[in-house]
Amino acid sequence: MSDLRDEFLSEAQEIVESLSRDLLLLDQAHKDGSSSQELVNEVFRAVHTLKGIAGMFGYARLGEVAHALEDLLDDLRLGRQNLTTELLDVLFEGVEVFQRLLAESPDAEVSDVDIIAFLEQLTSVGASRPPVEDALAAYAIDASVLAVLTEYEEHRLRTNVAKGVGLYRLKVRFSLATIDTQLEDLKARAKSIAEIITYLPSASGGDGDAIDLDVLLASSATAATLEDVLGGEGAVLERLTRGTSPVAPVRATEHHALVPPPPVRTPPRPTSAPPAPRMPSEPPLAKREVTADQLSLRSVAHTVRVDIRKLDHLMNVVGELAIVRTAVMRLTEKLRGRPELRQLAIDLHRINRGFERHLEELQDGILDVRMVPLGQTFDRLARIVRQVAREHDKEVVLVVTGAETEIDKLIVEELSDPLMHLIRNAIDHGIEAPKTRELAGKPPGGTLVLNAYQKGNHVVIEIEDDGAGINPQVLIETAIRRGIVSEEGAADMGRDEALQLIFLPGFSTRLRASDLSGRGVGMDVVKTNIGRLGGVIDVQSEVGTGTKLTITLPVTLAIISALLVRVAEREYALPITAVQEAIVFDPKRVRRVEGREVVTLRGETLTICRLDELFRVQSKARGRRYLVVVAVGQKRMGLVVDGLEGQQDIVIKALGKSLSRVRGISGATDLGDQRVALVLDAPGLLDEVLTSTERTLQEGRR
Amino acid sequence: MSELVKRPTIVPMRPTGSETRAASLREILAFALADESYGFPLARVREILKLPPITPVPRAPRHVLGIVSVRGVITTVVDLRRLMRVEERPPEKHARILLVDVGGEVLGALVDEVLQVHRLAEDEVELAGVVGGDLSDHVIGVGRPRTRRDQDHAGRELIVLLDPEPLFARLERG
Repeated sequence: MSDLRDEFLSEAQEIVESLSRDLLLLDQAHKDGSSSQELVNEVFRAVHTLKGIAGMFGYARLGEVAHALEDLLDDLRLGRQNLTTELLDVLFEGVEVFQRLLAESPDAEVSDVDIIAFLEQLTSVGASRPPVEDALAAYAIDASVLAVLTEYEEHRLRTNVAKGVGLYRLKVRFSLATIDTQLEDLKARAKSIAEIITYLPSASGGDGDAIDLDVLLASSATAATLEDVLGGEGAVLERLTRGTSPVAPVRATEHHALVPPPPVRTPPRPTSAPPAPRMPSEPPLAKREVTADQLSLRSVAHTVRVDIRKLDHLMNVVGELAIVRTAVMRLTEKLRGRPELRQLAIDLHRINRGFERHLEELQDGILDVRMVPLGQTFDRLARIVRQVAREHDKEVVLVVTGAETEIDKLIVEELSDPLMHLIRNAIDHGIEAPKTRELAGKPPGGTLVLNAYQKGNHVVIEIEDDGAGINPQVLIETAIRRGIVSEEGAADMGRDEALQLIFLPGFSTRLRASDLSGRGVGMDVVKTNIGRLGGVIDVQSEVGTGTKLTITLPVTLAIISALLVRVAEREYALPITAVQEAIVFDPKRVRRVEGREVVTLRGETLTICRLDELFRVQSKARGRRYLVVVAVGQKRMGLVVDGLEGQQDIVIKALGKSLSRVRGISGATDLGDQRVALVLDAPGLLDEVLTSTERTLQEGRR
Repeated sequence: MSELVKRPTIVPMRPTGSETRAASLREILAFALADESYGFPLARVREILKLPPITPVPRAPRHVLGIVSVRGVITTVVDLRRLMRVEERPPEKHARILLVDVGGEVLGALVDEVLQVHRLAEDEVELAGVVGGDLSDHVIGVGRPRTRRDQDHAGRELIVLLDPEPLFARLERG
């Protein structure tokens, strides 16, 4: 049962996401004044499907909301309702409601989601129906034709007539054998210049192998243009004028096999009605004619949904296999030592190499499956942008690039909240009100750029606004007032250093927390959350020009390449992505600069950290030690270790709950032989070492 | 001791034992720690491990010895001597790690020696409330199993019955 529920949740989530995407496009179309009919249909279908599956899985409240939204959308689709900003607001709100309902158990007795309020809102928007002018009467379209039109087709006809778009009748003859492809071809050609309202078998019939169709078109193009585009062998185009009958009545009796029995006017809710059957071979029609149950039953071919835990398990198995491989390698080495077994050793070595290759393929394959494009997350953000901008009466254009960039599913999941917060911040604090912007000589609408790209083993996400920027001086003053830095400390604080202040706990430059950005999370939480994913965040800002936040994340957390280092007889794994270089450590070159140990490396000062001291494990090692230069984002330091033990692919495993609060360690990994190595948390260590030296610096000054 | 791992899920009943008596039996895994006998409810003990190499974790809570990998799952090992505040001593030949289910996490508990499984009847257990005194909240009571040789109450072995949850909750407090 819970499997089914998971299946439902994941499908429902997908539907809600696509719904959200289409709503954004619809919003855009509404602003541009461009045609949005197809989008309205998409949205309608999505909600309809959601209603269907919610019912099947016992999500009654979700079903109820979907049903109410569906009614509203149906009105919109059929022109009984106009697309307004208010209506769009309600639809967007609907997406939020869906998401909150999906997060709840359907059996929960108490719910945080007030669907009653939402339903009331829906009703009040739905109540304001504009009158629909009936321009169709002037055309005197034959009643029997009107009768076979679905309500939707009739609405399209009326809309086009109301807009003054010309109506045409195109007579075509299609062979029965190829009618499907010919129809599709006609639709494709018509798409850019005309809207096909309906097509009916013509009264003139056709011969045994072919059928004549009357296609009812609405187009603003001239007859000549239409003729050019749609014309073909045996095609006859005719413009319908007021007072003429556009399509000859269909005589059902003549075409028993082809034409349905006396057409019945489609009931107002097309979803509950079977698609009006017209011809025996009509898949294209069925597709166009709503949805009903076909959509919910149709599944996307060649795609499976997999629980990420199953992939984790597979990854673990790959890790175990890698250990087996190492063991076989060691055995091979032993065999080599014995001359009489040399040939055997060589064979075994070759087999093991083959095994290794396949193992790598397997590992890459599993990693690939875990990857999802960032687009899903970005879509959700686009909705936030619209909402926040409206609430603040700001105009914001969101520009998204690199949405196809892929990243580990688990990372994506954890990324939504931090990104959402940054976006809210950018609109709330960054982008100015339209009037302010105009005074500053900027366009009234702000631009928010969301950009993602892969850089080696990392994914970089940039959030850039062209707003007011952050004034480092204001940050410093606030920090002094809050006692976060001393005045002396602030005096020689560089511009970049000052900008980093925003990431400190308890720091907010606004006295009154805005209802949007101030929802209990600050930039420090964003930073912590990103750090937990093995990533870092950096900020750049120019007063008056804008702010850019750059997040650097590892592509995956599942399996990583690591440098094994030795400290006090223990091995530790350091993600290779964080390692810049490793050199021999020369204690004589260490200088103490204001409480911290530094070395100069190619002209740059590098803070060093003796891992044995930090971890309070006394190293008895004498002799040569090494300095591993660790860097994440813009931060660098040198870790002093006893030895380098080589590079290895490792599967990171979480420590138990009882050790989750240990700093500087992000997990552990099995090295085989029952040996377990701790995985160092590079961003965490960098933070700890660099900020603690800053603190001792300040304490030293006091 | 390895057959403990594959213990049957149904406890074989003695022919003399009545239905009610069987139901009131407490199954205890008894182990030694600094010359005392202690017991965990058997149902909470997942597995008994011979001592694998333990990887110490820097800056971990004081009672944590380190971590081991149990078939790929990283498991925290707790020094029960430290946790029970008895004299510390390096583990010897008979030392074992008990994997104990502590609601939400399986923890390894290092003990000196695993003794045996006892099925204690109602009258062989004195609950903490009856024993009185100020026993810690992790002591359920005291078990006094009968033995064939010795039916005399006074000479029986004494097992301190431990409740894993409050015991390991000390980890949180450091």
